[in-house]
Amino acid sequence: MKVDKTLVASVALHVLVLGWAMISFSARSYEAPPESLAVDVISADQLAKITAGIKNGEKDKPKPLVEKVADARPVDEAVGKITEKKEIITSSAPQPPPKPVEKPVEKKPDPPKPVAENKPKDEPKPIEKQPDPPKVDPIAEALKSEESKKPKPKQEAKAAPPQPPKPKQERVFDQSRIAALLDKRDPTRQSITGATLNASAALGTHTGNADAIVATWKGAFVAAVRRCFSFPYNGQDSDQFEVDMDIQLRRDGSVASEPVVVAVRGPSRTVAEAMAASAKRAVEQCQAYAFLPKEQYDTWKYIPMTFGLKDML
Amino acid sequence: MSKALTVTRRGFLMATGSTFAVLGSRSARAQQPRVRIDPTEFRPISIAIPNFVGGSPADGQVGADVAGVITNNLRRSGRYAPIDPAAFIERITNIDVPPQFQNWKSINADVLVTGRMTRQGDGQLKAEFRLWEVVSGRQIAGQQYVTAPEYWRRIAHIISDQIYKNGTGEGGYFDSRVVFIDESGPAERRVKRLAIMDQDGANVHYLTKGADLVITPRFSPSTQEITYMEFGQGDPRVYLYNIETGQREIVGNFPGMSFSPRFSPDGQRIIMSLQQGGNSNLFVMDLRSKSTTRLTDTPAIDTSPSYSPDGSQICFESDRGGKPQIYVMPAAGGAAQRISFSKDDQNASYSTPVWSPRGDYIAFTRQGGGQFAIGLIKPDGSGERLLTSGFHNEGPTFAPNGSYLMFFRDPGGASGPSLFTIDISGRTELKVPTPGFASDPAWSPLLS
Repeated sequence: MKVDKTLVASVALHVLVLGWAMISFSARSYEAPPESLAVDVISADQLAKITAGIKNGEKDKPKPLVEKVADARPVDEAVGKITEKKEIITSSAPQPPPKPVEKPVEKKPDPPKPVAENKPKDEPKPIEKQPDPPKVDPIAEALKSEESKKPKPKQEAKAAPPQPPKPKQERVFDQSRIAALLDKRDPTRQSITGATLNASAALGTHTGNADAIVATWKGAFVAAVRRCFSFPYNGQDSDQFEVDMDIQLRRDGSVASEPVVVAVRGPSRTVAEAMAASAKRAVEQCQAYAFLPKEQYDTWKYIPMTFGLKDML
Repeated sequence: MSKALTVTRRGFLMATGSTFAVLGSRSARAQQPRVRIDPTEFRPISIAIPNFVGGSPADGQVGADVAGVITNNLRRSGRYAPIDPAAFIERITNIDVPPQFQNWKSINADVLVTGRMTRQGDGQLKAEFRLWEVVSGRQIAGQQYVTAPEYWRRIAHIISDQIYKNGTGEGGYFDSRVVFIDESGPAERRVKRLAIMDQDGANVHYLTKGADLVITPRFSPSTQEITYMEFGQGDPRVYLYNIETGQREIVGNFPGMSFSPRFSPDGQRIIMSLQQGGNSNLFVMDLRSKSTTRLTDTPAIDTSPSYSPDGSQICFESDRGGKPQIYVMPAAGGAAQRISFSKDDQNASYSTPVWSPRGDYIAFTRQGGGQFAIGLIKPDGSGERLLTSGFHNEGPTFAPNGSYLMFFRDPGGASGPSLFTIDISGRTELKVPTPGFASDPAWSPLLS
């Protein structure tokens, strides 16, 4: 049997090319770089320290925000306002059924008392509703006019049940009356009232320093280095000792080069220098600072630091 | 040609651009606020001290002994925390090759000490040591000493001082000695002998036989001489004693009692109290010319004088104001200024002032409210604080570096006094082991 060599070669090549394409062009799943957040386990003591007040904090604003001086409004005596419910008498239908339908409508539009007081009177003759002009509610009006018509079909319903679909026709959209549909009520946003005006809102209490707890990389970094840094000084002027040191970090959070001691301060130079060695050791011991956010590398690739001995004794 | 020029120009632009970028990053650095780090707590330096390697199999014991003395010294300082050798992963067998630092990192050692003791052909003992920083693998210090084999303890103290200086930045104090009064026998017939020992309580030697009562021994700056007061026949007198030769002599020839002597910082003079009737005043005597100068002239008891380290001032105790208090005056005499004013106890009295070799503090014994306390005060009278308080604490003396005090404490009752050390923060207080009861310690300057 004679095999066409070119055919074999062609098939082999195609298989190779297709196979290679399948492997190399296959979509690689996109892996989002994991976002790391440093979590520190701290003791109750440390928490108390972190959440302690700061001396230069803004003073409390004990006065609540007030935009408008409140009117001296007499407190409504709900008990005294209860009026006896009158018997509802309608000319057309003495039956109670319509009541449940009308009631909610009457109550909804105007919560203020005048309406509630008028309620019993209004019910029989909805048209007389106009007496309360201060707050004309077009929607309520519209609904009312509809409702006032409703009872009629209902009464007739007894005589001619097949008619119910009729009300649908009344929902004709009249373009010329769009304005009437608009909600003309005052905005519900109320001014904050109080006895005296106070335009500035409180920004928080001066007894807290929440900004120190905010999980910025700086806070996490300080906590991490702090864990490793200690200098066993037992003299009294410990707060006068300071070491300025610059460090450079790689993208993975490791120390890129030997930390540079820029300056040392303190009553004894030899002690301050030993402290600088301690600080250097602390920075190297605690690396790598992998929790530092990679996308903000520019902000932490170089970190100027100051080591002190405050509050140690 | 133009192409070459373009490339050059681009190169030039890139070069200048990168220069500006560097400048830009510099200025950005300058503006970046410094991140402030303060330690949360006082933590001693964690140190691993494996036994020193023996140069020959016979030197193994001295290697272990030296490591033991160093471990004890550093632990007693309170500034170092030696790691228990049981936790060591690596066994050091050759100090000429760097250790496997991850083995020491995993047991949380900050620094590591390796060393070797070798008995040489001439009978001398050679000691070598290296101090390593574990995290970086850097050798921080390395020394070797040669001495007679019996001085192996001093070598251990000297190495301890090297390590201590390196970690704290302060002067060392381990290579020093203490003279004290050794007390033995029942309370009613106490034998008090002058004794000397290493600062850690080892190597005790007795300087007197105990026939005469001896108190307030004080070291000379040369560390070879001691001055003290002895109750012999007749009036108590101030004596000078040479440790090397065992020779002793009376200081001056005064009609009455002389007491509470102390050397000047240059070792050329002795300052002391001389009794004159019911009062006592301060005098200074030049040891070479034997000339005596009066420093105070008051109808009161002025005593316990102590020089400032620069020799320009003297602090002393005086009851000229009613109760004993601490005063400071120029070394040549003159107006004295009271510096001790107890705020919490108006009736407290202050005694045995002693100026720190560092110059920053004056240590004292304070008596008040039925308690004896040891405390510190700055020479200007500020910053007074008490380090320890109890039934009876007395007689503070500074370590050569000014960071530690030794004093004696008597619990009362049938027992007797013991020596204690405390660091100037009051954090670390430890009993000094002595053969019997001990009192009146005086710390020597550094031996080397």
